[in-house]
Amino acid sequence: MQDLENEIRNIIAEIIEKEPSQITLDAKFYEDLDVDSMMALEILAAMEKKYKIAIPEDKMAQMTTLRATMDVAREYIGKKA
Amino acid sequence: MLDIEQIQKILPQKYPFLMIDRVLELEHQKKVVALKNVTINDGFFEGHFPEQPIMPGVLIIEAMAQASIVLFSADKGKGEEKKVAYFLGAVKARFFHPVYPGDQLKITVEPVKMISGAAIVNAVACVGEIEVAKCELSFSAKEGS
Repeated sequence: MQDLENEIRNIIAEIIEKEPSQITLDAKFYEDLDVDSMMALEILAAMEKKYKIAIPEDKMAQMTTLRATMDVAREYIGKKA
Repeated sequence: MLDIEQIQKILPQKYPFLMIDRVLELEHQKKVVALKNVTINDGFFEGHFPEQPIMPGVLIIEAMAQASIVLFSADKGKGEEKKVAYFLGAVKARFFHPVYPGDQLKITVEPVKMISGAAIVNAVACVGEIEVAKCELSFSAKEGS
């Protein structure tokens, strides 16, 4: 699970142009990390591509921290298996 | 297929900023193929460049963005007078060959991810068989009042 955390952290870091160390498990995307809705969509699309999953649009609202984003990813990676 | 009259009903852009002339294929939320006939009468050639007319790369991106709007919005609110503003969020582009007067740009756009208020798409522009530019665009759409 450490792998998943680091992979998703790196995906997010690249898109939002922040250091991975700034993206703690509970840093809030919108308040703490200046993520906007377009970046959020890019994060979603990048995860879909990496894990070959499809995440429905309504899950985007839940993805407000790295921890929450991992939860969403796990749910769909699990479904695929 | 959509002609220029139908395209103008879909796009918020108007003359002289219409960068596609015709839509050849439109597959619901899957693919759009659009044409831009590049002519020396295009206003931008006057300054870009006076001695050497080359279509500005940013306008190739604009043509891709307009084709993307067709893909994104063609089936939504057809015929309804909704004012929608589109905002580009990110552009990752690469240009391979210059585009000259007389060229016919064929732009193919396919979605990477499309949601109700925004999309990420991949666009490729070709002149004949030659790929002249490709681009990943992300944009959002906001309905006005």
